[in-house]
Amino acid sequence: MNTWHVSGQLAAQYASGSAAEPDAWSLEKHVESCGPCATRVSAAVRAGTAGPVLAVVRAAVLSSATAPAASRTGVRWGGRTRVAGAREPAGTGWAPRAWPGLPARMVWAAGPALRGAWLMALLLVTAGALILAYGAHFGGARPLLLAVAPVLPLAGVGLSYGRHADPLHEVAAATPSGGLRLLLTRTAAVLAVSVPLLTTAGALLPAAADVPGAAAWLLPGLALTLAALALGSYVGCAAAAAGLACGWLGVVVAPVLATLPRDLAGQLERYVSGPALQGGWAAAAVLCAGLLAVRRSSFDHLEKM
Amino acid sequence: MSTVEVTGLTVRHRRTVALDAVALGFGTGVHGLLGPNGAGKTSLIRVLATVAAPAEGRVELLGRDVSGHRERAEVRRRLGYLPQEFGYYPGFTVREFISYVAWLKEMAAESVPGAVERAVERVGLADRIDAKVKTLSGGMVRRVGIAQAIVNEPDLLLLDEPTAGLDPEQRVEFRALLMELGTASTVIVSTHLVEDVAAACAEVTLIESGRVAYRGTTAELTALGEDSLEESAGNAIERGYTAALRAHRALAGAGR
Repeated sequence: MNTWHVSGQLAAQYASGSAAEPDAWSLEKHVESCGPCATRVSAAVRAGTAGPVLAVVRAAVLSSATAPAASRTGVRWGGRTRVAGAREPAGTGWAPRAWPGLPARMVWAAGPALRGAWLMALLLVTAGALILAYGAHFGGARPLLLAVAPVLPLAGVGLSYGRHADPLHEVAAATPSGGLRLLLTRTAAVLAVSVPLLTTAGALLPAAADVPGAAAWLLPGLALTLAALALGSYVGCAAAAAGLACGWLGVVVAPVLATLPRDLAGQLERYVSGPALQGGWAAAAVLCAGLLAVRRSSFDHLEKM
Repeated sequence: MSTVEVTGLTVRHRRTVALDAVALGFGTGVHGLLGPNGAGKTSLIRVLATVAAPAEGRVELLGRDVSGHRERAEVRRRLGYLPQEFGYYPGFTVREFISYVAWLKEMAAESVPGAVERAVERVGLADRIDAKVKTLSGGMVRRVGIAQAIVNEPDLLLLDEPTAGLDPEQRVEFRALLMELGTASTVIVSTHLVEDVAAACAEVTLIESGRVAYRGTTAELTALGEDSLEESAGNAIERGYTAALRAHRALAGAGR
């Protein structure tokens, strides 16, 4: 135990930086173990020229220590440990974007098709049909739209899910949302956009006596979409959708390609008009939905290398 | 206690056998998966990520058999996976992208913003969090991939060639992150860079032609290289790798 203590004069000299070096060393060593002297030196330093700087540092440390820890301590890439105040200009139009709201999450749920070329194609077809009918006074716009309409949701499904359509497929497949649930969410989004758009456009087109109504494509479109999902459980959605789209166009449009658009209405009549045919499409839709339910687990491990 | 347990695991791609009756167990810590290109590393990682189904065998992750739908969904919530070929939506910012993956992983909505920022900060991209992913360099995109894998603080983290495209300094920092992650979770890193394993992994599994060629600690593999009489270039662990691979090939050849 030593009996030496820091005098008031030495404390003042130390605070102003004018203490001799050996005296300063003695003082620093001494205050490590002597409370009263440490208090005396602290008071002297706070009263000195360094006081205001220390007050600012103290306030900053206190605010960062009491604020909710935004980031855990640990290894940080680049070795940059940030002082709380230096992170980001907090609350300058930045916080509201932190967790995107419902609209953003709906866009996420919609998947890649609704953000890409498919949406453009859908808008082009719809606008094209209206322009043909009213701009060019083309009579065959409605049968043409009805013939093309079932193919568009198919294309949307094909471009929404799977290794070839979705760049994030591999990551999504390893999450609990992957598989059939993601596929159905995205199909629903595709239908939610394409059905109202195409049906409204069809209804706005001039009607003709022998042309089926604007809603005639709905059941065939639904049946083909569900067939694409069911078939997609075997061969992948893109291949299934492409095959079914070609099949539909091949059966309905190809035979009358030479005489387009005159005979297209008759072709549509043959495949979608009347309660019997519509009932058949409805039955096909139910059948495909049943098959899809049976095959649901295949989407969990759809492995096509 | 092992968190990953596979037995009799066989994976086929059309006619070729990618994995041949592999039995492996992994516990908490960082495990290196080494082997020549085409040895079956990616096939194993993809099966463990529940992305690919094995032709035969049993896969138990985090104490659950993943052949059942409910168990698989439960495991997937606690899984982190960086695929070898990592795709992204070009229009998304880093924050949007990681949030989207967090949403897919069914994380609680209120925990997502903090978790996203933490994950991005851990890979050193905090200053680019609101940049579009397509504006980032290849190494940064790879780090975004690591961030999406760790955003849910997974109990099982699977990284397929995570250091591809990273420069040497970034690799050093990445290994430090790996070791930190390995204190609480099971981390399996597939790589063909032996020095990654030497620096970050406690245990090594060597795969060759769909079979396990060697298992041991990193120190044991290094010792194997020091004892080896092979006159080859490279450091001890690289020689150990070569020696283990040749010993396995000699054995496999003799068994034929």
